Amino acid sequence: MAVYKVSYVITGKNHPGAIVNRDTRPEVGDKITLGEEDFVVVEVVDLMPPRGDFHFIHATCRPLEKDEK
Amino acid sequence: MTVIETLKKVELFEGLDKAELQKVAKLCKERRLKRGEAIAVQGEPGNEMFIITEGFVEVVRHVTGDEEAQVVVNLGSGQIVGEMALVDHGPRSATVKAVSDPTVVQAIKRDDFDGLCEQNNHIGYIVMHNMAADLSFRIRHRYLTGK
Repeated sequence: MAVYKVSYVITGKNHPGAIVNRDTRPEVGDKITLGEEDFVVVEVVDLMPPRGDFHFIHATCRPLEKDEK
Repeated sequence: MTVIETLKKVELFEGLDKAELQKVAKLCKERRLKRGEAIAVQGEPGNEMFIITEGFVEVVRHVTGDEEAQVVVNLGSGQIVGEMALVDHGPRSATVKAVSDPTVVQAIKRDDFDGLCEQNNHIGYIVMHNMAADLSFRIRHRYLTGK
């Protein structure tokens, strides 16, 4: 049972980002909702080595455009 | 999902066996929050920490001299919040409120948590180690946001 602890950092907007656990590894192009806002993942990197079942991921996102929803 | 299944997905408890997770689960009390509802208020005393199991909370800080509060981070499923007051007994360092409806948390009281860690030093060591690792992750996140 892998758990992906993801640090989401938002570009192109004044947003503090989010930290959330996911059951699957985020991928570039994924559309995500943080709170009530929609974003698309543009970069994914491993932040540090996994520990036990936990993987530590950094994902950069940008706001989703209206025509992408 | 049972409380134990939820706790297995929380980094704070990574390394605990099933019997130890059951002991932690007995301390948990579920709370369901509506959007805008606060579980911690900056400056006020706090004697609980919270594990977010559904939805999102925002962590908001009021800085002296600034009129507007600053959202520091949003935290979602699997994250802990309110643990600082549990460890240092200080006032809440930030206000934490639900931003999605519903937001569900598991609350653990300081006295219960301290009692369990004193009874079982292995649980205490693992949880304190993981709490430091979580703090480290949050600092890395903060550096990455450039704020």
